[in-house]
Formats: sequence, structure tokens, C-alpha cells
Amino acid sequence: MKFFRRFTFGRLESEVVELFEEHMNTVRLSTEVFLMALETDDKGLLNQVCELEKKGDKIRREIALKLYSGAFLPAMRGTLYKLAEVIDEVLDMLEDTAVDYLRLNLHLDEEIRGMCVKVAKINVKMSKDLIDAFKNLKMGKSLERATVKIRAREREIDVLRNRIYETLMGKDVKNYWEGKVLSDFIDSLVSVSDLIEDAADLIQILNVSLR
Amino acid sequence: MLSEIAAAAISFSIGSNNTSNAFGIPVGCGILNFRNAVILIGIFVTIGSLTQRKVMETVGSIASLNRNLAVVVLTISALMIVLSNLKKSPVSSHQVIVGSIVGAGVATATAKLGILIPIVVSWILSPIGAMFIAIVVYFLLEKIFSRFSVFVVERILFLMLILSGVLVAYNTGSNELAAALAPLVSAKLMSPVEASLLGSFFLFIGALFMGGRVVETVGKGITALDPLSGFSAQFSAGLTVLFFTNVGMPVSTTYSLVGGIVGVGLLKGVKAVKLSVIRKILITWVLAPLSSFLLTYLAIRFGGVLI
Repeated sequence: MKFFRRFTFGRLESEVVELFEEHMNTVRLSTEVFLMALETDDKGLLNQVCELEKKGDKIRREIALKLYSGAFLPAMRGTLYKLAEVIDEVLDMLEDTAVDYLRLNLHLDEEIRGMCVKVAKINVKMSKDLIDAFKNLKMGKSLERATVKIRAREREIDVLRNRIYETLMGKDVKNYWEGKVLSDFIDSLVSVSDLIEDAADLIQILNVSLR
Repeated sequence: MLSEIAAAAISFSIGSNNTSNAFGIPVGCGILNFRNAVILIGIFVTIGSLTQRKVMETVGSIASLNRNLAVVVLTISALMIVLSNLKKSPVSSHQVIVGSIVGAGVATATAKLGILIPIVVSWILSPIGAMFIAIVVYFLLEKIFSRFSVFVVERILFLMLILSGVLVAYNTGSNELAAALAPLVSAKLMSPVEASLLGSFFLFIGALFMGGRVVETVGKGITALDPLSGFSAQFSAGLTVLFFTNVGMPVSTTYSLVGGIVGVGLLKGVKAVKLSVIRKILITWVLAPLSSFLLTYLAIRFGGVLI
């Protein structure tokens, strides 16, 4: 029966595509909520980031089940599942960043906060670019514009990361743990873009996987 | 009764050998499971064997066969095909059967060797033709697919792989099985319809119980197949055999498929083709008809078989 179901114009496949869209929208939402929390210093908003991570986990499991049920040709399944995993890692990383931010008992230095807000804003833009890349993959359009933007923004974040650390080295911290949590927070925040770039690479691989 | 058993044995052997031709690539690519492949092959082989008689007529006209000769030809052919399957090396049932009929014809001085020339030429041309068609099909599809979304391409490829499998299954009935049953019909032991139904049934049983072994060799052994390569190879083999079936020539789906796979392998670079596997298949290509010829000839001339 599973085989004959596959002739119903790709119902399973459409469901997987919709799940990916929902997964990427969850990433976008999570980056936006995090940015808002950082800008307003409203740590209450960070719980939503953790909730969105749980939602992403659920979507990843659904994608895995549908792929296992026979959605798509085997040549694509591995890359599709890897993409779901990487998107899930983006949400995990955002959750880690939110948790580290909650752990910070100090108010961020305004100069550092300003740069972190810039990084968070770029993360939001990258998550939208990722959605565009997937939309283009679905429509059979060129991925170049979206993926080039993602790579450029990732480089922008690399530059910001170096500046944040240079600034941090000139600041005093009360004790080891405060310094460690602050460093972990920065590390997590700047790693989100790396994972979004990995997801974009996988979308490009998918695009050529059957050609 | 002996003739029915021989017919069942040869059909069973073709089923065990030729499931890979129709659905080796879809199964190798993971698109179809083995059970569904066997169901499809059963349906379309029956349709093919009931609707196309040209190959049966050509093969039946190679030599004049009586009951005993038909039984010897089919038994030796069946044994050879089953043994080659057990060795996991695909062999053309056509070549074995044609070699065997020629052996019987030479032993009884009834062989019409002139018919052999177009048959052997077809054997040479069919894998070469399939190779070139596969290259063209792959090249064209690559160009066409570049205009579509990967999700649309996936859907098209899925349907095309199944459809080309169905085409090859039809060819198996109209060409491979028809050639195998030709001695029975030629010796007037069965009507074409009776022979086709009996042959199709035992081919289905053979595919069900022994087809899985050769599927592994053809689908996964020669070159790493992506769905586009798999389709190009199989569809080219299907078109080639369909052409030769319509001109009444018994050609091997197995070797056409190998030709198609080599074609797409060459497009990817010679390193993508496992030359050792090709060499092994070429040796079988020469040895199979010669062996069946000699065995049948010796069995009839010196084995005390009554003519």
C-alpha cells in the first residue's frame, strides 16, 4: 500500500516540504524573539525561545518519520534529514544562547550589548534568507541570491565576533564564572549564523542531488 | 508431462534471472521493494508474452525440433541459467537457448544457420545501442531537469523509473520468455497461449523465490547509480529491446541494461564503471551460447537422446 500511496501526487512529500517551511519559520520566530529580548532586556521573553526549541524538535521527529515512511527518493532522504537536524541545531543553539543570557546576572556593558544586538539582527535576516533559499528550491528558482547573502552575513558576524572579543578583553569581570557564562553566551550567539550557513549549504546540495 | 516440467523450469529460471532487468535499478535505488517488483513483473510479463509473437517465430525457425529435442534444449538451458544465477552473474537466457537450439539443429542437420547472422548482429548491436541511447537520454534529461524544481524532478524520476521497469518487464515477456518457449511451440507441444500462460506463471514464481540474488549484482554492482543514471540506463535498455522485439530479434535485456549502465558510467568518467564486472559479463556473453551449443550437441549426438 505504501508504494501505491506514492502515486497520489506526492502527498507525503508535500507534507515534508510543509514541515520544513514550518521548521524554518520557527527558526525565524526564535531569532526575532531573542532579538526583542536582547533589545528590551526582557528576560521573560526567553522562555518562548525554549518553547520554540521544543516545537522544532517535534517537527524534526515528524520529518524523520515521514522520510522513513517512504517520502522522496532515497538519493534525497539523507540530505533532507541532515537539513532537519541542522535546522534543529540552530534552534538548540538559540536556546543555549537564551539560557546563557538568563544566567548572566549582570547587565551587559552597553558597547557589548550594541554589538550583540547587531549579531542578533543579522541572525534574524539570515533566518529570512534561509526561508527564501528553501522557497526558491521549491519553486525551481536560482538559489544564488539567497545563499550569497547568507554567506556575506556570516562573514559580517565573524568580524563582529572578533570585535566583541577585543572589547571584552578590555573589560573587568567579577569572577571566573561570570566570565565563562559571558564567553559562552557570545560563543552561542555567534554560532547561530554558522549553523544557518550549514543549512543553506544543504539546500544547495539538495538542489543538485538529482541532476 | 516432461515438456511441461522443462517449460516450467526454464520460465522459473528466467524469472530468477530477469527480475533484475526490470526492477533491479528501482530496487537498487530503494524506490521499490522486492515484493512490489515481483507483482509488477508478473503482470507485465504476462501481457508481453500474450501480445507479441515475432520473437517466438524467429527462434522457433532456427531448427526443426521434436518433443525430445525440445525437452533437451530447455532442460540444458534451464540448468545453465540457474547455475549462473547461483554464481550471482547475470546470463542471457536468449543466448543459452539459441545456442542450445543451434546445437540440436546441427546435431540433427536441421539448423538454418542463415537466421543466426541477424540474431548475432542483434546481440552485438543491442548493448551498444542501449549504451548510446543511455548517453543521449541522460544528457537530455540533465538539460531538461535543470529547468525544474528538485521536488518536481523527484516526482518525475520516481514515475519514470517505475514506467521504464514496466517497459522492461513487458519486453521480458514479449522477447525473453517468448524465445524460451519457442522450442515448445515449435515442437507443437503447446499452443502459444498455453505456453505463454504457463511460462508467465512459473516466471513469476522464479522471480519471487530467486530473483533477489541477481538484483543485487545488476542494481548495485556495476556502477554507483543515482536515480537519473538508473532511469537512463534502464529506459535505454527498454527502448532497445522493444525495437528488436518488433523486428523479431531475440536480444538480451540483461546485456542491453549492462550497455545502458556502461553508457551513463562513461558519462561520469571511466573510473565510475567497474571494469572487472564488465569483463566478467563479457566472458559470460561469449561462453554462454558456446557452452549451451556444445552441451546440447553432445547430449544429442553422444548421449543417446532419441530423435
